[in-house]
Amino acid sequence: MNVLDYLADGFMTALQWHNLLFAFIGVLIGTSVGVLPGIGPMSGVALLIPVTASMTSGLPAEAAATSSIILLAGVYYGAMYGGSTTSILLNTPGESSSVVTTLDGYQMAKQGRAGPALSIAAIGSFAAGLFALVALILLAQPLSNVAIKFGPADYFSLMLLGLCAVSGLAGKSITKALIMTVFGLLLATIGMDTVSGVARFTFDIPILYSGLEFLTIAVGLFALGEVFKSILERDYIAGQTSKIGRILPTRKDLKDSAGPIARGSVLGFFIGILPGAGATLASFFSYIVEKKISKNPESFGKGNIAGVAAPESANNAASGGAMIPLLTLGIPGSGTTAILMGALIMYNIQPGPLLFEEHPQVAWGLIASMLIGNLLLLVLNMPLVKVFAKVIQTPAKYLIPIIIAISIFGVYAVQAQIFDLILLLGCGIAGFLLARNDFPLAPLVLGLVLGPMIENNMRRALTTSNGDFMIFLQKPMSLTFLIIAVLWILVPILLKRRGKEVVVNEEG
Amino acid sequence: MNRTFDRYASIVFLLLGIGFMWQSAKISASAYGSTVGPNIFPFGLGLALVLLSIRLFYEALKAKPTESQKEKLDYKRFFMIFAAAFLYAYFLEVIGYIIGTFLFLLFAFQTLERGKWLKSILISALFSGGVYVIFVVLLEGSMPGFPSWLS
Repeated sequence: MNVLDYLADGFMTALQWHNLLFAFIGVLIGTSVGVLPGIGPMSGVALLIPVTASMTSGLPAEAAATSSIILLAGVYYGAMYGGSTTSILLNTPGESSSVVTTLDGYQMAKQGRAGPALSIAAIGSFAAGLFALVALILLAQPLSNVAIKFGPADYFSLMLLGLCAVSGLAGKSITKALIMTVFGLLLATIGMDTVSGVARFTFDIPILYSGLEFLTIAVGLFALGEVFKSILERDYIAGQTSKIGRILPTRKDLKDSAGPIARGSVLGFFIGILPGAGATLASFFSYIVEKKISKNPESFGKGNIAGVAAPESANNAASGGAMIPLLTLGIPGSGTTAILMGALIMYNIQPGPLLFEEHPQVAWGLIASMLIGNLLLLVLNMPLVKVFAKVIQTPAKYLIPIIIAISIFGVYAVQAQIFDLILLLGCGIAGFLLARNDFPLAPLVLGLVLGPMIENNMRRALTTSNGDFMIFLQKPMSLTFLIIAVLWILVPILLKRRGKEVVVNEEG
Repeated sequence: MNRTFDRYASIVFLLLGIGFMWQSAKISASAYGSTVGPNIFPFGLGLALVLLSIRLFYEALKAKPTESQKEKLDYKRFFMIFAAAFLYAYFLEVIGYIIGTFLFLLFAFQTLERGKWLKSILISALFSGGVYVIFVVLLEGSMPGFPSWLS
């Protein structure tokens, strides 16, 4: 079967009525999540895992996984788009990948051009999403064909590279990021060892034998952490939104933004593929590029439509690009994709090179549904821009307790243990304290998800070499990955030494 | 950057690292058919954590004391809501989902803003009832709806 046949099969899956419904719900919730200040894409996806798990409980395992990953991916790129709405109307970005959009978006809104700004963001997101998906379709099969030749040593080094890349770019201090990574990996070792069956760090407590549940920790750290932060900082008083006015962009707007959208899409996609560099970085870079090549750079920051079109396209393209390492190599490059991967593992589906062979329904169904989802996003958002502007005004004082209630409900629905609820609340406090003191959370979740796989690959590699650690340096692929990993950590440190500003990625 | 927090955090992570190393030394060192046992990976990680936390401690010592102008945190409301959430989570199985959620939401709404009782009661009731109906009645999930001594 060639790629087109697989894609056709994928569309068969994605066009089943319940999957269409899931994609629709995902995009709708995602946009709302992006619009609502206080919940980003990471906590949105984490919160919805248990909800989707219970919604799909009646389906057979593989179909359930397909449906829920369709919904969760919808939330992911929906939130990427939705973040622009608050940037433009309120001057407060819904998530960090929309920070740059505020520069020109809010200025446009002040000049009464909020409508065109919003619709250009929607059109740009759509075009970028489409581009990223076509590239994903073309690259997925060849990449997983390469990845399938990797041995355990290569895999171990590649995952190490992924972790180093995320730690090197996450937050202000590399030491703190590395601490969080190592701590995440350590948390993953709690419980029964899958290879030898030995119980580790369980202290004979029965609940700990199955290990700490990834879902509980992710929801606690991200969703509850952010909620606790809003309560503590009294961050629940709504601001004033700008008037939207006419929605459709003029012909000149479209002409002015065509170039930025195209450049933003390409740039964003390739930045998205790189582990560690996510949507935030992509939007920053594309904005800088546009400013550099523009004929009148001084108009940026004063309501230039290119300053909205380029970063918004770039961050959506990046979220598509980030799916490539996740689906083909099984290595998430950011916090949000780590959470998506955790969701797949919950359904016993291991992302990686074998995904396209063992579960083509999941992989291609997801890709096809992302095409449909992007179309839905455009159709939904052009006419509903004004409705979503109303969503911003949802009083946060009702939202905050409801998010806590959803977290508790969700975790209990999946785990059915009081222990997990207490762990959830504890993680909420830890999440707040750590994030407040510049300890990035994404590396921890990444470590937690990748931990078991890194360990298994390491032990398999060491078993073949009779315990000789040199095997990681003797295999050429593995050696290359390790060198890149070391560089990824060292280069930012050296740049900082020389007093250069290093762009950090806080979205994770 | 908050130096005191970083210092305490580095000590906590140092102890955790030592703890993991100490505990992994107790795990049997060999697995059947392999020279690499289940203890190597956590032991190495524990060591890495120890080294990193020493580095963090050193960085926190060296960092210049920066005056942070963070606004005062609203501890009172936070602890009230957190305590309510804790009680709600702890007694969820005893008092049941509907009553527990209703009480928790009502309390939290009123903590964040007093007044508007009718609206608070309405939203709490709609949410707790709605979630229960969708999850248990429609999706047939299992969730203790009412306390066992009531039904």
